Amino acid sequence: MLEDEVITGSGAAAKAARDVREQPRADTSKAPPLELEVIAIFDEFRDRLLRYLISFGLSAADGEEVVQEVFLALFRHLRDEKPRNNLRAWVFQVAHNLALRQRGATRRNHQNLVPFEAVDGEEALIDHAPTPEAQLAGKQRYARLFAVLQALPELDRRCLFLRAEGLTYREIAHVLGVSLGAVPLSLARSLTRLNCVDER
Amino acid sequence: MKFEESHLSDQDLVLLADGELSAGEKVRAHSHLNSCWVCRARKQEIEEAIGEFVRFHRGGLDPLIPPASGPRALLKARLAQAASDSDRKSQPWAIPFNGMQMGAAVLLLVAVTSVLLLTAGRFWHGSSPTAFLAANNVPVSFPEPGLTPGAVTAATREQICSMPEPKNRAVPVALRRRVFQEYGLVSSEPQAYEVDYLITPALGGADDIRNLWPQSYRSAVWNARVKDALEDRLRDMVCGGRLDLASAQAEISSDWIAAYKKYFHTDRPVDTTP
Repeated sequence: MLEDEVITGSGAAAKAARDVREQPRADTSKAPPLELEVIAIFDEFRDRLLRYLISFGLSAADGEEVVQEVFLALFRHLRDEKPRNNLRAWVFQVAHNLALRQRGATRRNHQNLVPFEAVDGEEALIDHAPTPEAQLAGKQRYARLFAVLQALPELDRRCLFLRAEGLTYREIAHVLGVSLGAVPLSLARSLTRLNCVDER
Repeated sequence: MKFEESHLSDQDLVLLADGELSAGEKVRAHSHLNSCWVCRARKQEIEEAIGEFVRFHRGGLDPLIPPASGPRALLKARLAQAASDSDRKSQPWAIPFNGMQMGAAVLLLVAVTSVLLLTAGRFWHGSSPTAFLAANNVPVSFPEPGLTPGAVTAATREQICSMPEPKNRAVPVALRRRVFQEYGLVSSEPQAYEVDYLITPALGGADDIRNLWPQSYRSAVWNARVKDALEDRLRDMVCGGRLDLASAQAEISSDWIAAYKKYFHTDRPVDTTP
């Protein structure tokens, strides 16, 4: 049901998401073990997957629907007793593939993707700066950093975001379908460019 | 990798920073770093770039992540639905009977099946239990989950709540016809049914066949009027900030009668006629 967008309310702080995650889960006590297991994996990975999907250019609502699809697929995967080794890489791989499909469909429908530049993290990054000058410098640095990220090849950007979500090189290679050796090469390339932000 | 003789490459330094070198390579890399200021400085630059990216990544994306409670409730409802569907497919006749109970059940089943086949054959074109009952003019209060799981639009809570007293839109004739066909009501009495939204547009329900079902006018207890009252109650709660939109959508689509009992605190519909 990828074409439908499930609404989960307006954007809210990650802290709220963490607070919710820390609440007791009494409501799942009657669910069968397999459903409980999938919900537990959802609790662990939902935020990370959604961040990854938003970095892909999906809106939060589209990303949320893709996350739902991922965990329904996981339920079917586990129910059919398919391999359980490295479910972390598995959920990211399914999310990645669904995101590619969703992004393609959104483009075909001439709808606007949420470009990564629309990600309004600027305030969060510079608010803590002590002086207006420091805030301005932070803002400019953010813009430069963003420009570097936007200029990276898609594969390099994906590697970087997956690494930031805690995946190992082997897992990243699995998700993106590249060789193990390609991952450190890609990361080194990206980090070298990010390192040059101050030189611009 | 000949770390002692030449400088470490950026790739080696990234592998080292991420703990991806083998034990032997790690020892050799550290040994080289101990004696090489150039590589140590480069390693520090790479780690600073990692830190910079992580601050950008988390600071930029975390504020966009909505609370998990609504999506979690929705997933739970969808999992329950998926589990129920797979149970029906894998064990259609798995009834926990034994001995004489099983014999009696088989006889009863044969008798009921015979009667239904004799009377239903001319009406029934569907394939689901709910469709079967509906096609036989048995008032049904539930949609068939396989046919009508519910579907929602991209409207936000703010958009929904800013609509002045929304009414369910009229369902286009072609779509009504498709709903009747899906439920096997081709030759039956479509006029005895209202094609209703499972998730009302007042709660973000979509004009989608997966969100439409034929609700019988003849249901004496759990009928369309009762469901309308639930929809009004849920919308008030969502717009009043007492219930999140996704939970309301999940509850009304998974079991609207249970949701009614929960939010009206009653096992029977409350009489709301003036």
